[in-house]
Amino acid sequence: MKLLVVEDDRETGAYLKRGLSEAGHTVDVAESGREGLFLAAGEAYDVVVLDRMLPHTDGMTVLRTLRASGVRTPVLLLTALGGIDDRVEGLEAGADDYLVKPFAMAELLARLNALARRPPTQDIPAVLQVADLKLDRLTRSVTRGGARVELQPREFQLLEYLMRNAGRVVTRTMLLESVWDFHFDPRTNIVETHMSRLRAKIDRGRANELIHTVRGAGYCLREPD
Amino acid sequence: MFRSTSVRLAALYTVAFALAVVVLGASILFTTRAHLRQQFDARLEVEASALAQEFRAEGLSGVAQAVVERDRMAGALDYGLCTADGRPVAGRLAGSHPPLGWSRMRIVQPDGDVGFIRVLSTQLPQGYRLVVGTDDEQNDAFESNMIQGFAWALAGVVILGALGGYALSHGVHRRLAAMTGAAEAIIDGDLARRIPLSGSDDDLDALASTFNRMLERIAALMESLRQVSNDVAHDLRTPLTRLRQRLEASRLAPAREERSEAIAGAIEDVDAILETFAALLRIAQIEGGARRAAFRPLDLSVVVGTVVDAFAPSAEDAGQCLTLSAEPGGLIEGDAELLTQMTANLVENALRHAGNKAQILVEVRRKGPSAEVVVADNGPGVPEAERERILDRFYRLERSRSTPGDGLGLALVAAVVRLHGATLRLEDAAPGLRVRVSFGAPADGATLAFLNLADISRSPDAG
Repeated sequence: MKLLVVEDDRETGAYLKRGLSEAGHTVDVAESGREGLFLAAGEAYDVVVLDRMLPHTDGMTVLRTLRASGVRTPVLLLTALGGIDDRVEGLEAGADDYLVKPFAMAELLARLNALARRPPTQDIPAVLQVADLKLDRLTRSVTRGGARVELQPREFQLLEYLMRNAGRVVTRTMLLESVWDFHFDPRTNIVETHMSRLRAKIDRGRANELIHTVRGAGYCLREPD
Repeated sequence: MFRSTSVRLAALYTVAFALAVVVLGASILFTTRAHLRQQFDARLEVEASALAQEFRAEGLSGVAQAVVERDRMAGALDYGLCTADGRPVAGRLAGSHPPLGWSRMRIVQPDGDVGFIRVLSTQLPQGYRLVVGTDDEQNDAFESNMIQGFAWALAGVVILGALGGYALSHGVHRRLAAMTGAAEAIIDGDLARRIPLSGSDDDLDALASTFNRMLERIAALMESLRQVSNDVAHDLRTPLTRLRQRLEASRLAPAREERSEAIAGAIEDVDAILETFAALLRIAQIEGGARRAAFRPLDLSVVVGTVVDAFAPSAEDAGQCLTLSAEPGGLIEGDAELLTQMTANLVENALRHAGNKAQILVEVRRKGPSAEVVVADNGPGVPEAERERILDRFYRLERSRSTPGDGLGLALVAAVVRLHGATLRLEDAAPGLRVRVSFGAPADGATLAFLNLADISRSPDAG
């Protein structure tokens, strides 16, 4: 992927560039809002990583200007610790996702992957399929190898999110946000318990497991190799 | 003296009153003058036309006779009759030749005084001219009497105004001085000082008590700030020390594997510290109250339902039982995100401290037009003496020191409760702890808007 990082702090910028490059992405770093705006408007990036706090032209202004000039590139907003209103404000200004600093590189990578390959909502097929697992979004039914699998509503949502991001890593916080709409980190391992129940229904007793735990990052639902 | 607001106000009022008296006097004077003039003029016109009548009936001699007779009467008007070429015929004014119509004429009285009279000169048949005049002086005397009266009234107003102003400003000044004194004392560090009330229950008292409440609030905030900085210093020192030790040890560690393990541990420590910071900042922001703009009408049972649904499997795995009993339709106005976190913290708190096999019941009840959430467990509970303190930041019961947690969960709950203007009660569930959060009624408009929304979202495909 080709990524643009707009970050005024050199050290953070270098850290992001190295981490993202190691993951196989091409990274441009802009050190000011103005430069970021110039690059984002001129070149085709898959995702823009935008720091909210920038000197002079701040992140929100960059974001609004980009959206106003018709640039639809997905934007991931980096916000400061504890900025309780930043998320809502950022999403309203046209950001596609946000991440609170400091964050783990694995979290950022997972979110960038999800953003870059996210199809528009209307393009999501009614029936999602990975290997012999089928999920019908309209009838809200799930089958594995033709056999019906009974899921709780929340497990269904969890599976749908995993299948929409099939082949990509999704993190705990991504699941908390999209499945439960929790924008905080509970101490209780609720994602893990729901996931193990879902796995019991989908994967138990099957030769090919579809849901995989990615150590230190999250989960991934993918076709067996 | 003149910098005092009340003195200025009193002076301003006195000046305004004096001006009002002057304006009133002047308008009365002018109206009266015009009225008197009209009356005099009417009298002159009547006289002139009566004499003209006389001329037509009795001829020149008749008029002359009448003029002479009338001139002789005391306090009468002045008359004059002359021929077309100006020769006097009869009357005191016969020698003067004012122009036809109304005019003002200077005359010398028999006693030598010079005065002015108002005259009406009319044309009689055969070119004779008749002049009828009246003394303006009566009028002038009347006017000067009136002006004098008004001058006395004006003096009275000014004196009374000054006296009243002094009394008023003295009283106000005394009370303002008390307020200033209190403010000065607070500036000098006596934060417990409050503005004394006069007990008269007037607007100054209302202002003073508002200020006192503001001072209470500021004192509370200062206290909580002081508390937080103490707490932060205390509670972050331990993990920071541990972090330092770990890093120190990693430097000395010979094996590469050992070192990377130490670094992983250090990152975990830093994450925990950052999490504590994030929680503190979040609490501070919630207490700042800025979130209130994001309040929307919402169904409490939906918010709480989501949380219980999320935690129930974890509880079950831990051998605990988390159940929900929710009455739908409990509408409140609030921030869904914060209420979700509040409920999650309450549930987590119960799961963590109520012990294995605990039963935790979460209830949502409609209460009049509003709603309440009750989270009750059958664990060991909290001793009554400590119930209020568990809402403080970093406060932890002695027996909970070993369980995970940063002591900020319930502090956040308390902050969210305060933000929503709700009340939080910690009760004895015998055994266990029961936390009850009661919300106030939402605004009527909000309820209506919400009901409409609810109708729309009831369509089967919603969500």
